[in-house]
Amino acid sequence: MKKLLAVLLMAALVLAACGSPAPAPAPAAPATDAPAADAADAAPDAADGIRIALVTDYGTIDDGSFNQGSWEGVVAFAGPRGIGHEYFQPAEVSDAAYIDAIGLAISVGAEIVVTPGFLFGAAVYEAQELWPEVNFVLIDSQPNMDGNTHIADNTVAVLYAEQESGFLAGYAAVMEGHRSLGFIGGIPVPAVVLFGTGFVEGAEFAASELGLAAGEVTINYAYAGTFSPSPEVQTMAASWYAEGVEIIFAAAGGAGFSVMAAADAANALVIGVDIDQAGASDTVITSALKGLQASVYNVLEDWAAGNFPGGQAKVYGAALNGVGLPMATSRFQNFTQAQYDAIFAQLASGSITLSTTLGADAHMGLGVELVEIVAIG
Amino acid sequence: MAGLYITTLYFVMQQTFFFTIPLLIVALGGMFSERAGIVNIALEGKMLLGAFTSIFFINQVQNSGAALDGHALLLVALLVAAATGVIAGLFHAYATISLNANQIISGVAINMFAPAFAIYIARIFGDTQQVFFTNNFRIESVPFFGSIPFIGPLFFQNTYFTTYLGFVILAVSTFVIYRTKFGLRLRACGEHPHAADSVGVNVYKIRYAGVLISGALAGMGGLIFIIPTAVAFNATVSGYGFLALAVLIFGAWRPQRILFAAFFFGLLQAVAAGHSGIAFLRDLRIPMQFYQMVPFVATLVVLAITSTKSTKNAAPKAVGQPYDKGTR
Repeated sequence: MKKLLAVLLMAALVLAACGSPAPAPAPAAPATDAPAADAADAAPDAADGIRIALVTDYGTIDDGSFNQGSWEGVVAFAGPRGIGHEYFQPAEVSDAAYIDAIGLAISVGAEIVVTPGFLFGAAVYEAQELWPEVNFVLIDSQPNMDGNTHIADNTVAVLYAEQESGFLAGYAAVMEGHRSLGFIGGIPVPAVVLFGTGFVEGAEFAASELGLAAGEVTINYAYAGTFSPSPEVQTMAASWYAEGVEIIFAAAGGAGFSVMAAADAANALVIGVDIDQAGASDTVITSALKGLQASVYNVLEDWAAGNFPGGQAKVYGAALNGVGLPMATSRFQNFTQAQYDAIFAQLASGSITLSTTLGADAHMGLGVELVEIVAIG
Repeated sequence: MAGLYITTLYFVMQQTFFFTIPLLIVALGGMFSERAGIVNIALEGKMLLGAFTSIFFINQVQNSGAALDGHALLLVALLVAAATGVIAGLFHAYATISLNANQIISGVAINMFAPAFAIYIARIFGDTQQVFFTNNFRIESVPFFGSIPFIGPLFFQNTYFTTYLGFVILAVSTFVIYRTKFGLRLRACGEHPHAADSVGVNVYKIRYAGVLISGALAGMGGLIFIIPTAVAFNATVSGYGFLALAVLIFGAWRPQRILFAAFFFGLLQAVAAGHSGIAFLRDLRIPMQFYQMVPFVATLVVLAITSTKSTKNAAPKAVGQPYDKGTR
């Protein structure tokens, strides 16, 4: 037994030795479509001039989430203009690895670095000082470290008007014909709170447009206390559906999967969040989106035109195509594209003002008159 | 009004099984290991690994468009989950029985390994750590039984065949532990391995068997836990492996008591989690946190009341001790 182990170990060592390439391992490998990407692959591209780089959050470039959405924005902008672009995958999830990957991107010529996801907060906080001549685009977060937030002049923090996205979802749900709605948030962090209050205001807006009586639309409103799927979340959602709730807006990350399971059993509906979740379950009628692609595209456009909006947090709402519903993949039966376009235009024009109050009780202070909120807490 | 209460009762009972059955099966798994003398704190990890491989298997089969679907697929997936649990159990058994390693440390190692492994493999094959599956396994109403008044909606509607499998496992486990030669030897190895050894029982083999059975049941419990409660596996079983360990202890390492413990806890969890959709409970306006606390407090209270000398001394005497032939 021991001999066999020893032989196996030897074999493994020999194989490992043969496999390792001669050059010293780079801290992060620029990922390309070629499966065996290493630093050498970046060289020819560098000659063409990589100007735009994206450093991935944990996960791959085709994660169907933040990385992919942001990268699509980069490609949509840089591709047709023939601007060199490349993405870099950090060796691991740590601030040091993120900074290494950013450094590598800059060393091959990147002038602007896109970093998707709130995990980059600390890395960008440091990187913006380390490389003041390079521009940084931080998606969905602000550069911060140890409680200090600072956006340098070479950095823009891209934020999303979640309340507008939630508004569209609430409006669509009521216009679709639903009267008994539900909202399950994960944890009352700012983004989730705004999705929820926007949802209520959207339902209220639709109720008033339709001339519904006060109390005709009800919204069960609760925070699950988790972003993970769990049987407790499933049972909570199932109990709502059993009581007659027709559609639940699950702004709860992975916990949304448990809401979908409950909807599946009850033949009811779910509204997804952040990204288009239509593929996750047939019960997902639509999703309250953050427009990653559009916002990245927009920032790059400004950057190329010499108007990089550095030093500020830029909030992307309907006006900048930063929020929306994926009408192409939505499963609406009554709510039409025309209705969507009309309400979207109203939001974009700024004629509708929405609450941006934060906190776990924000929904109680909205002062809605037609929608009855059944708060659970 | 009475009609409303009765539908609420049906609802709560149907939900209760989603909590109870995985707890029951995993706790029974823990029982096989601990009655043989091996502490099994690795239940959580084995549940998670079993859930991961089997959901991944279901995902691959469903995406490949193979004809295997519905209950046949679930059955094969259960075997995959059981096999995974056995493999994880092998590591635990080898470390604790053959190498005399500390049983807690070996278990903790598996618990730490499991989610990392699941995320790593999921990301290699997919792009995210979630593994999606389509739930074609739910039984709206069991033929014939589902249409019996009262009993039907209570036990035979909105269910899964795994619910009944849980009771079969309970019956078989009870029989094996108390009515077979193997069961007697298993219990002997947990109480007094030297005595067992002195009459010719191979303590190592019996303990291996206990841990491997434990792994198989924990793995299956993981799959059964995930299927009704999410549309994707997200590298977590929400601590239910540890709860199963608590149920095992609450159940005093005995099958019938484990059933009672799992059911009691599951029922309270179902009420706690579902209270917001139950009008008369919601109207009490008691904070959600209170409901979330109830299952645990109630378990403590029941434990304090029902605890007798026999349950206090219920733990297998030799549990946690590596077997060394040389000691007396």
